[in-house]
This record gives sequence, C-alpha cells and structure tokens, in this order.
Amino acid sequence: MIASVTRSVATGVRHSLAAMAVSAALLGGCASQDTGAAEVWDPIETPNRFIFSINRAIDIMAIRPIAVLYRDWVPEPAQKSVRNLLDNLGEPVTAINEVFQGDPSRAGVTLARFLVNSTLGLAGLFDVASMMGMERTKEDAGKTIGMWAGKGVEPENGGFYLMLPLRGPSNARDATGLMIDYAIDPFQILPIAFNWDWFYYSMPRYGLNVIDYRSRTMFALDDLEKNSVDYYAALRSAYTQNRADLIRAKREKTDTKSELDRRDNLALVR
Amino acid sequence: MERTLSLQARRRQFLRSAGAAVVLVPLAEPALASDPASDLISATAAQVIDVVKTTTGAAREAAIRSVLQNRFDLPYMAQVALGAHWAKATPEQQARFVKATETAEARAYAERFGQYAGQTLTIGKTVARPNNVYVVDSRLNQSNGQPIKLEWEVRQGAQGLRITDVKVEGVSMVMTRRSDFNSYIQSNGGKVQPLIDELEARASR
Repeated sequence: MIASVTRSVATGVRHSLAAMAVSAALLGGCASQDTGAAEVWDPIETPNRFIFSINRAIDIMAIRPIAVLYRDWVPEPAQKSVRNLLDNLGEPVTAINEVFQGDPSRAGVTLARFLVNSTLGLAGLFDVASMMGMERTKEDAGKTIGMWAGKGVEPENGGFYLMLPLRGPSNARDATGLMIDYAIDPFQILPIAFNWDWFYYSMPRYGLNVIDYRSRTMFALDDLEKNSVDYYAALRSAYTQNRADLIRAKREKTDTKSELDRRDNLALVR
Repeated sequence: MERTLSLQARRRQFLRSAGAAVVLVPLAEPALASDPASDLISATAAQVIDVVKTTTGAAREAAIRSVLQNRFDLPYMAQVALGAHWAKATPEQQARFVKATETAEARAYAERFGQYAGQTLTIGKTVARPNNVYVVDSRLNQSNGQPIKLEWEVRQGAQGLRITDVKVEGVSMVMTRRSDFNSYIQSNGGKVQPLIDELEARASR
C-alpha cells in the first residue's frame, strides 16, 4: 500500500519535473523585448476563442444558473463552511509550493493550519486556525514557476495564452502549474492509491469547487462582460494582470518598484 | 413577499454598514492629512458613499458621473485606453470617443460602487513617482470574506490632482479597457470609427 503511494508520488514528481522543463523552455522563448505596452501573447487565438465560446455556452446553460441558486439560496454560514472545507483540502498543495518558493517557515504555518482545521475545525468545516492567528495563504505551482522565472521575465509574460476547456483562462505557465499541483496533491494521489470511489470523492470536490468559485467570481465576470466590447480580450487582459500581480507580490521582496516602472514605461510608449 | 422582506432587511443592513463607513472614513483621515493624493481618495470615497446612500438608478448614475468628472481625469483615461489608435483618430472622433467612454465609465462605476457599498475603505501608503504620479494603496474591507486590494493612480495634471486609474486586485480598469478596445479595433479592420459607433450605441441604450 505504502509502496504504491510512494510510487505514485515518485511518478508525480517525475511528471512535474518534466512539465517544469517544458514550461521553462516555453517561457524562455518569449522573454525579450517587453516594453510593458505589449498585448498578451496569444498565438492560438482562434482555437482559444472557439473553446471560450463553448465554455460560455456551458456556463450560461448550466454553471452560472446553479451558481446563482447557490449564492442566493444556500445560507451564508453553509457557503462559508463549504469554502473552508475546499480550502482545507487545498492546504497541502499550498504548503508544498511554499517549500519550493523558499519559504519553509510559512509552509510550516500552512501545515499547522491544515492539522488544526482538520481536527478542531471538524474536517475543515471551520477555520479555527485563522481565529488562532494563522492567516490563510493560497499558493499554486504557476506562482512558484513565475516567481523563479528570472528577472528578465515579467510576471505578465506567462508564455502563450491558453483557454482551457471547462476551466477558463490560463497560459503556458499556469497550465503547467495546474498539472504539477494535480500531481503533488495528496487528495488526488490518495483516492488513486486507495481506489476510493471517484463518484463519491473526487467528483463532489470538483463540482463544489466549480460552483463555489463561479459564485464568488460572479460580480467581477458580469461586470467585465457588460463593460467590454470584446469580452474575450478583456478577460484575457484581466486574468494576465491579476496573475502578474500575485506573482509580483511574491517577488516583491527583491524587486519592489518593477510594476510602477512598467507603468512609467507605458506612459512613454503611448 | 418573503423576497421583498429580505430585500428590505438587506437594505437596512446595508444602510447601517454604510453609516459605519461614513464614520470610519473621517477617522482614517487625520493620520494621512499631509498627503494630498490620499486626501483625494478619502474625499472621493466619502462622496461616493454619500451618493450611493442617497440615490438610486438614473439619479445615482448622474451623481456618479459628476463625481467622475470632478475627481477623475476622464479625457486622459480615454486617451490611454485608446492607446496607439488615439493619434490616428481625427479630433472629432477623439471628442466623440471621450464623451462615449465617459457615459460608459459612469454606468460601470455606478454599478461597481453600488456593489461595494456598505463596506469600508482603509487607505494605506502613498508612493510618489517622479512623473507627477502617485499610487495610493487601499483595502476594501468586506463584511464577508477577504478584503479587496484597491490601488488608485493619481496624477498631477492641468486641473490639479486627478484619479487616472483604479486597480482592483491588480487588474487595472484602464489597461483592461485598452486591451479590449485594441482587440475590437483590430477585428474591425484597424479603424476607430466602429468602436466609437458601438460605444455610442451602448451609451444611448
């Protein structure tokens, strides 16, 4: 049993190393000549727009209505508990990423949060750790790659833009990160190792994540759609900026003013 | 019936928390009184809270529009949003574009501010840039969930200090519009006129 867990972890690590090498190659290919005024690099815009239109159709028909019902009809404490539960399941991935981001002490806090909330917090339903002063962080491998991508690579530059089916906006960096996170997530490895029923474990988690995430992004996405003439382009820009901001906050300790310099650059280009 | 009741309850709750916000904003001011850029932001926030509290619908949109005209540098924002296409447009197109984006911004911000109402704004530090630009950090504290990170870009222009951009969680409203407009122009043969027509059609709706 344990051997099989070790084996799947080992496979996960092998896969993620390969993915990291691929993403490094992809990122390296587009590192030069960034004046700050460039648009997001989107060489496969036509297939991306195609996927986007399918995603939107599914969203309008199924996901958004369910998310609206969830937001308006499920009592807020219940929504909060669902959020806490999902956050708690994501805690190990955050901790592993924090180790790779070179912040083992923060990873220790995250692990402590996980242990406290899994026990005192009744399997994660209540965020007891926050009340004890251990603030929640959320890290993913996309951010880890972005953080170590090197000084020449702006966080806005995540490789080519990619519209993922059912998942929405991403790019080479973040899609690679997604695969790594999947491979290192104990709550993805355990069900496979112990043959837990996908229908009772993985599917509810995935489904709840989608509905919860959609209900929380409702206002921002509606706003973006209503106030844009090309929703696809507006979302592409907003996604890239938001991810860049998160990565910049990670890099900030060494590189405080880069974003502001970028804006100055932009003013000159205009 | 139940729906109306809950709406009223929500409204009451919202009015209470809006009241709290009005109390909180002046409290935040004295510590930062020496800094004109953050003063501009707190004055704008107080004004917006007042507008959202006292008006609804078209009246709110008009009131927000006048706040935008007095506190924001709308022509400059429009120019940045059009990017390289600004220089290619005729003066008449530029004027029409500025007017159309003003309506669009008034509508967008009226809705955004309406949604953010009942929450408090904590104003943080100001970073001064060499090119007459200040970036004011702030946090919008939500009643439920994590605070939202808001950054305000304030520029010293001909009419004094004006807000030229708002960044929500790192997403600049002007940059997003710029990308959006650029893509629309590209897909319409690189011409500005179709964009202006579209914006004017939306403004009259």
